[in-house]
Amino acid sequence: MGNHSVATGKKSHLQHHFVDEDQQFESSKFGMWIFLVTEVLMFGGLFVAYIIYRSWHPDLFYMAAQELDVALGATNTVVLIGSSLTIALAIRAIQLDKIKAGINYLVATIGLAATFMIIKYFEYMDKFGKGIYPGSAYSYDGIGHDMAVNFFSIYYMMTGLHGIHVVIGIGLIGWMTIKAKKGLIHSGYYTPVENTGLFWHLVDIIWIFLFPLLYLID
Amino acid sequence: MADNKAQTLKIREFPVEENPEHTYLNAEKGIWSWLFTVDHKRIGLLYLFSITLFFFVGGLLALLLRTELLTPAQSIIDADTYNQIFTLHGAIMIFLFIIPSIPAALGNFFLPMMIGAKDVAFPRLNLASWWIYIFGALFALYSIITGAVDTGWTFYTPYSTQTGTSVVSMTFAVFILGFSSILTGINFIVTLHKLRSPGLSWSRMPLFLWSLYATAIIQILATPILAITVLLLAMERILGIGIFDPTMGGDPVLYQHFFWFYSHPAVYIMIVPAFGIISELISTFSRKTIFGYWAIALSSLAIAFIGFLVWGHHMFVSGQSELSSVVFSFLTFFVGVPTGIKIFNWVATMYKGSIDLKTPMLYALSFLFLFTIGGLTGIMIGALSVNVHLHDTYYIVAHFHYVMMGGTVIALLGGLHYWWPKMTGRMYNELWGRITCGIIFVSFNMTFLPQFIMGSQGMPRRYFNYVDQFQGLHQFSTIGSYILGLGFMIMLVYLVWSLFYGPKASSNPWKARSLEWMASSPPAHHNFEYTPVILHGPYDHHQPIREFHMGVAKEADEQTTEAERETT
Amino acid sequence: MSTHHISTLSTLLSVAGALLALTFLTVAVTWFNIPEPFNVIVAIAIAIVKAAAVAMFFMNLYWDDRFNTIVFLLSILFLVIFVGITLLDTLFRDAGLPVY
Ligand code: HEM
Ligand SMILES: [Cu+2]
Repeated sequence: MGNHSVATGKKSHLQHHFVDEDQQFESSKFGMWIFLVTEVLMFGGLFVAYIIYRSWHPDLFYMAAQELDVALGATNTVVLIGSSLTIALAIRAIQLDKIKAGINYLVATIGLAATFMIIKYFEYMDKFGKGIYPGSAYSYDGIGHDMAVNFFSIYYMMTGLHGIHVVIGIGLIGWMTIKAKKGLIHSGYYTPVENTGLFWHLVDIIWIFLFPLLYLID
Repeated sequence: MADNKAQTLKIREFPVEENPEHTYLNAEKGIWSWLFTVDHKRIGLLYLFSITLFFFVGGLLALLLRTELLTPAQSIIDADTYNQIFTLHGAIMIFLFIIPSIPAALGNFFLPMMIGAKDVAFPRLNLASWWIYIFGALFALYSIITGAVDTGWTFYTPYSTQTGTSVVSMTFAVFILGFSSILTGINFIVTLHKLRSPGLSWSRMPLFLWSLYATAIIQILATPILAITVLLLAMERILGIGIFDPTMGGDPVLYQHFFWFYSHPAVYIMIVPAFGIISELISTFSRKTIFGYWAIALSSLAIAFIGFLVWGHHMFVSGQSELSSVVFSFLTFFVGVPTGIKIFNWVATMYKGSIDLKTPMLYALSFLFLFTIGGLTGIMIGALSVNVHLHDTYYIVAHFHYVMMGGTVIALLGGLHYWWPKMTGRMYNELWGRITCGIIFVSFNMTFLPQFIMGSQGMPRRYFNYVDQFQGLHQFSTIGSYILGLGFMIMLVYLVWSLFYGPKASSNPWKARSLEWMASSPPAHHNFEYTPVILHGPYDHHQPIREFHMGVAKEADEQTTEAERETT
Repeated sequence: MSTHHISTLSTLLSVAGALLALTFLTVAVTWFNIPEPFNVIVAIAIAIVKAAAVAMFFMNLYWDDRFNTIVFLLSILFLVIFVGITLLDTLFRDAGLPVY
């Protein structure tokens, strides 16, 4: 299986300290998985804060969550799932050397990611308009609980950190698009796009948990 | 295979070149070839240089603290300055010195060599990790200039959210430094899994590498929590998000959980690599196979795991629930088991060995003595009822200095002397080495042993003044610290001297058996110009050295394929 | 072993379809007021199934080196340790001193 570059006749990307391309590919992917572990744990810290606070103040979470718009949250879930699909399709296309289709899928992924951010932007603006800010700037009194701000602090931290990851993801996918256009990734060497895909799916997975935990408290 | 050109793979012996002309040191020239190198050996030296620098900065601050403590009242600095200086001393020693010390400096240099690889799995990431470290250090410097920090290295809330000092930039520095640490961890794990040479099975991995493996696991599992902790702390200060702020219904004890979920495992990031060095030293200088290879290897992993279950022993008087205090105290004792296993195995290795008291071995013996004190007092303060009395006293200060300095720093020095010939190609002066080890050992005990006594009598930690009763012991401790400082200066002088005037080192001056000694001193640019095939374990002292490995090399076309790959 | 897996089109599409269906389900169950602990359990269970589907079929863990799965699960294990032990404190703050 090891002779991809020979098969396609494309330029080798093998670095000198690896024996062959498979070893290099496996190593990169393994490294990426370990990196994802650190991501899970970093977000995990926020989940822990969430769990502790929810166990302390279940009523607060119930009341405050009513302010969040389930429809927008659900739409964003669908959007992100869609983007996970498109990036998986992009990788598949590149593995099959259908570079053109691959690029289109990558661009579609960026489009969906941007949609997610735009929806998030409107959600944030709506909250800010009511005076629902994270921290001491909070001034909304529509929630009959004196710790409402704590819920929204957690909400903003979680969605904010997630949003930053979405933006980073857009950057990475954009970079992959450029690479694909330059012909630098193809069936013989697609490690970067594979790893970008892993990163992007993780961003999706985190949202899969954020959605019910934040929006669907009944 | 990647290039199917006609080549014959030949397996044969490769005699080591003594005092080679071409080494990694002269492969490229100029400052840029160092600052932007992707060679793991050079990056290791960059780290070694950086941590040494910060060790001396942190050490000077410590001497300042000790000087203030010469008299019961104010001597040279006021209370606020004292608070800032011990915070800086602690933060620099922890985040800029001890966490990167052994793994990023010695580990970077020797991990690939010990498994016969040409480099770590991700050389550019390795370089990035050093630059990120420097960037984090600059941030720390910035926060020192703009008002310093006076919270202690632990940044406990609510004080850290209220003090007027630059906590935000310091926590940012910590965030960045954590990232650097994570990159090193990822690199090491992948390298150990994927780049071992033929014949170098897990059971033939030197114990130093097992310890680095365990350390890397802790680094990747714990450090992200530090990142989110300091992020939350920064947000608490900037926005007032109220998660840790009691006035907004938040919980400062939760901050301590977050902080120690990282920082207790982090003390194993500091000490586990030291264990690895000690295993190498004791086996080599006893000329004996290590006793209980698997017990030592697996106990590192056990420590890494158990280390995640005990963080609350730092919080016995914080107001956490009684239940959790009891559980944490109970679990803490378990850490003693794998640690004890190691110590017994080291002692058993020395039994009936032919012990050679070279400088590295002297450090290893000092380690056994000092770390055992540090470790056993750790078990004592892990006992809930004892801790309640000793918490926040000098007993704690003495304990963690015995572990961190008596343990990690001493092992680092042992490793530094052990590998100095390999890294630099020069021998240090053995006599001065031994004398200095003696000075450091004695003065270290002078500095910190009295602190156990003071602590048990109630001298609180983090105070710039004290009741008259303690003056004698404090002065004794301060004098000890001056001698300690002197010891380090002597070491600096003779090590730097050896760089220029030291005798040339042979490839294997200690007759050790692990793979890094089968390369020339200093090693070639790519460590080995062939793929080593390993035939024996790293501690098989009963086997002749020349039988330890063979090499596979492509006999034809070697040069051209190398060159081709370089260009891609 | 090689882990260059190329997913079939139908796998990718059906996984995405399942994810969308589960998203609908998780919203739909909130329309029936399931009593207290169970609503959270249901919501989390659905999320776990979805996450597992993404990890297995989009992130290729199903075809990949098993060790990558272990690594990934390790992160979850340590999170559970973190929450679990912290809850030992936060849930029992008021329990007070045992009397002897
Ligand atoms: C030259 C040897 C050293 C001396 C004389 C020294 C001395 C001191 C002193 C006087 C304090 C303040 C104690 C207090 O007022 O509570 C202190 C704190 C501390 N030291 Fe050292 N130290 C030395 C080396 C080290 C090393 C090598 C490390 C770690 C690698 C270290 C880590 C710490 C830490 C973490 C603190 C606690 C800071 C805090 O309370 O926030 N020290 N040291
Ligand atoms: Cu601890």
